Amino acid sequence: MSVIDTPAQGSSTPERPRAFLRPDGKEKVTGLGRYTADLTFTGQLHAAFRYADHPHARIVSIDTSRAKALPGVFAVVTHEDVPDVRYGGMTQDRRLFAKEKVLWEGDVVAGVAARTVEIAREAAALVEVEYEVLSAQPDYVANMAPDAPVLHEGWAEYGADENLVRDGNVMSRYVIAKGDADAAMAGADVVVKSHYVSDASQGVPIEPRALVAQWTGDSVTVWSSTQVPFAARSGVAHTLQIPESKVRIVVPLLGGGFGSKCDFHFEAHVAILAKVTRRPVRLVFTRKEEFVAPDHRREGMDIELETGVTRDGRIVARRGRMVLDKGAYTGEGGFFAQMAAMHACGPYKLDTVRVEAFLNYSTNQPAASIRAPTAPQACWALEQHLDEVAAAIGMDPVELRRRTLVAEGDEGPAGQVFEKIGAKETLEAALELIGYDAYLRGELPDDEAVGVACGWWPCFGVPSGAYVKLNGDGTATIVTGAQENGSGSVMGLPILAAEILGMSPSDFSINYQDTDAGPWDMGSSGSQTTFNNGRAVVEAAQEVRAKLLAMGAEKLEADVADLELADGAVRVKGAPETSVTIADLAGTGEPILGKGSGEVPEAAASDASACVGSLGMESFLAPQLITHAARVKVDRDTGVVRVLDFAAAHDSGVIVNKVGADGQVYGGVMMGIGQALTEATWTDEEGRQKNPGLLDYKLQTASDGPRIQIRWIEIETPNAGPKGSKGVGEPPSVPTSGAVGNAIAKVIGRHVDKLPMTAERVWLAANSPAGEDQ
Amino acid sequence: MSTATSMTTSASSRTYVEARDVATAVAAMSAGARPIAGGTDLVVGARHGKAPLPAALVGIHRIPGLADVAPTDGGGLRLGALVTHATLMADPTVLASYPGLADASAIVGSHATRANGTLGGNVMNSSPAMDTGAPLLCHGGVAVLVGPAGERRVALADLWTGPGRSTAAPDELLVAVELDAPPADGASGSSYVRLQYRRQMEIAIVGAGAVVTLGADGTVTGAKVAITALAPVIHRVAEAEAALVGTDGGFEAAKAAGAAAAAAARPISDVRGSADYRRAMAAVITRRAVLTAVRRARGESVPVPASDTTFGS
Ligand SMILES: Cc1cc2nc3c(=O)[nH]c(=O)nc-3n(C[C@H](O)[C@H](O)[C@H](O)COP(=O)(O)OP(=O)(O)OC[C@H]3O[C@@H](n4cnc5c(N)ncnc54)[C@H](O)[C@@H]3O)c2cc1C
Repeated sequence: MSVIDTPAQGSSTPERPRAFLRPDGKEKVTGLGRYTADLTFTGQLHAAFRYADHPHARIVSIDTSRAKALPGVFAVVTHEDVPDVRYGGMTQDRRLFAKEKVLWEGDVVAGVAARTVEIAREAAALVEVEYEVLSAQPDYVANMAPDAPVLHEGWAEYGADENLVRDGNVMSRYVIAKGDADAAMAGADVVVKSHYVSDASQGVPIEPRALVAQWTGDSVTVWSSTQVPFAARSGVAHTLQIPESKVRIVVPLLGGGFGSKCDFHFEAHVAILAKVTRRPVRLVFTRKEEFVAPDHRREGMDIELETGVTRDGRIVARRGRMVLDKGAYTGEGGFFAQMAAMHACGPYKLDTVRVEAFLNYSTNQPAASIRAPTAPQACWALEQHLDEVAAAIGMDPVELRRRTLVAEGDEGPAGQVFEKIGAKETLEAALELIGYDAYLRGELPDDEAVGVACGWWPCFGVPSGAYVKLNGDGTATIVTGAQENGSGSVMGLPILAAEILGMSPSDFSINYQDTDAGPWDMGSSGSQTTFNNGRAVVEAAQEVRAKLLAMGAEKLEADVADLELADGAVRVKGAPETSVTIADLAGTGEPILGKGSGEVPEAAASDASACVGSLGMESFLAPQLITHAARVKVDRDTGVVRVLDFAAAHDSGVIVNKVGADGQVYGGVMMGIGQALTEATWTDEEGRQKNPGLLDYKLQTASDGPRIQIRWIEIETPNAGPKGSKGVGEPPSVPTSGAVGNAIAKVIGRHVDKLPMTAERVWLAANSPAGEDQ
Repeated sequence: MSTATSMTTSASSRTYVEARDVATAVAAMSAGARPIAGGTDLVVGARHGKAPLPAALVGIHRIPGLADVAPTDGGGLRLGALVTHATLMADPTVLASYPGLADASAIVGSHATRANGTLGGNVMNSSPAMDTGAPLLCHGGVAVLVGPAGERRVALADLWTGPGRSTAAPDELLVAVELDAPPADGASGSSYVRLQYRRQMEIAIVGAGAVVTLGADGTVTGAKVAITALAPVIHRVAEAEAALVGTDGGFEAAKAAGAAAAAAARPISDVRGSADYRRAMAAVITRRAVLTAVRRARGESVPVPASDTTFGS
């Protein structure tokens, strides 16, 4: 195990190449890069949608005649113009254009293509829709009551993953269970119960999504700002009922996603408009649409936790009941009940467990993956709950974690036995960086405190592919299906190939984000690009290496075993002057290609026999461990909280690209602080968004950012990514709000039970009499 | 059953002229054009769908002389309508004698907003949440308006009538705002504090401005207090001022002024905060504004912007 510190200012230490310059960096910062909205096509038309006029209503009729008659309108399409198919990840519950019902304010009823954006929007407003208005059902907890009207009347007939346990408005019910938690709870020294509620929030990419579709013959190309081009391709093929070979998705530079651009979204809507009009059609969202229209936000969650402990801090039982807001449709968020339950367990030793989680339909904007879906909210609740448990037994909360965090050989909540992991090491590192001892000694002013929270996040082992081909001048091109979302994960792939081929990362170009070029990839989701595509690139580079060595052996009349690849040449070990350059070998015209996918690592065995509705996530593959520590100052009279100092210690295995990894932590912590304090989608009583804009959806700004100190606990993780690496992208916002929440509670004397912990909520908690609910 | 058809208007032709002198601007305004200075309210608001961009615009940003900061004959200060927030927050005279105005301009939007946004736009936009309003009122701000019939002067208290509404005619151009002379003995201080959830790109949820004058023995001899975002217009609170005069300007006096401000507030509930919270914050923020003004009157240095400096106090 080694430890690398990142000094606060991000300067580099000598032992590793730190100044990796990402190939797409310069074009992005100089404005020369081209994003989807920068594309212009001859004869292009502009699209606009008609959204639902009510969050819940039956459609009686749709009349497009007035809209079509508006000069400048080329097409108006509805459900009648597309195949009658439903789509969705684990449950196929949605159509491209609403047919029988609208189920949330962002449901798309009609699409328009017109000469200008203004005309398209005007025409969209002219579509006449007759509705039978139904009561909105935004209360996702109430929706599971037996007498609650069922939102998807045809749910039982929908195509769905057979492992889901579904019932009416409960899209998925999951129970994780180990031992007899009820009996163990009855025998605990102390039992603590907590109830926490998190509001929904958003991914908020700076680039609102944009798409352009153009047909050539019976094939369509869609340029789309998506994080998952292959999923987008399947979505177009499925909903328009055409083969995947006729659909090409290309992603120009992507201006951020944070999960919100995962999944198939609007590619088929624009494709059908382009098909009907025989013109390229372009759709660029306004900021408001970017908030309201995607079926993709961070889920609201209602969390009840109960922990039984011994006085010396052993957790004998954990019970929990979680209700998650799925919103109107499944999208790709069908697995959330199980993922949330895993985060209600956390990386802790639990003798017995029973956590039940419900993922419920509502007439709200659908929830789907936003950076570490379900984890920040569940972790925020659990980590505050643990501080309450520690207080109940009179133990320092850090000491309780020291005694209960998992280590090598310990068991997970469903019997997974952990290999070497650095949970405890991240705890100690974060404490040291934040100065926890000084805090304990009372050296901080009384309106400041340090809060600590731990969390985890799995790696996802999935197939992935890449090609490496050499160019005639000795440079190379990586062709990959992987997608870059701004994190730099794809940009870092040359580091892996260069090392194997004795080349420099700058010798590589990358052909990516084009479904006709690279092999299938899961896309920029699940912190998985380096983990899986890195493995593919390594294997592809190994094949090229073998070919180069064989060619070099022939040329140099040497044995392969005596050769090495270094400085762009094949050369004899110990006699570097006996060499042939890669350029000479590649310049003959003979193709030198490699392809790879590599063996997909699998999670450790676990016992799901007592679980209900399992989707196979009871065992976390190569879990990433995190401890965050926050020093905050609370303005008691206003409730405004400032984070003054922050420490982030992560076990993400071996760090392949430190500049990139650090960047993920800086950004993730800022996102986490936003979720902790200021970011929420506020809605009216019918679930309509009240703050779909950047003035009132309050992201943290650069001025709000605290000092963020990072420490990487590097463990060469077996059964993981290249070099023993794990993922990096999602964990940095997992325990952030928990750490901030615990710090606030130490200043004001009680835990804020709603997320975000806005100034008003902190003020209410600080000023309400002890024991009284806010 | 309900049938929904919403209407939007398509972009019709727009005209834009750029005025190089006040007369041209006023003439264009008389013909129906709206003036545009920095455009940070007008253009951004149109993009957000607040109000469509006016069909006719007259650019006023190149009119000479409107960006000057100059003393008035009466020893006060004349601020041209085109003076930007970036200028106001750093101007030596403003910092020395009208620091509450610098407190306000220093927290408007972001660096970019402050570089483009003007005092005139801030005043004429007539938002009850705009930040320079409270300090301008406390410093006796008078709007100098030029219309087809010539110049007239209106106290700011008589200018604003409600959100986005003022007594200025559509063809009256604001050319300057004039401020009172600071008290001759110099024992006066001003401040502006606002409640902010983050440190840039914020909007006033609650704000308060104060000007305090101290006698030789340190007693408060004069006080002006105004509150922001707590009523349809920014306004002074006589009860808060009365609560200060004759006191030592200490914590209890400031608290009493805060209580008076809270009592005078008519807050609303919205996504930024509930009415109850806003009312409670009116007391806290006013107290902080008063204490800051007193400290400055005593000659203590309280860095601009006071909203940052007084956090947690
Ligand atoms: C991101 C952002 C953040 C902001 N934050 C704040 C904030 O924190 N506090 C705050 O108070 N404001 C804020 N604003 C609002 C705005 O920046 C300020 O009100 C600014 O001072 C407006 O000046 P302007 O020159 O840009 O006005 P413009 O947009 O040019 O004009 C505003 C209005 O005033 C009229 N007008 C302008 N000049 C004159 C004149 N000389 N005579 C007559 N009428 C005139 C225009 O016709 C228009 O109706 C923010 C705006 C943005 C975009």
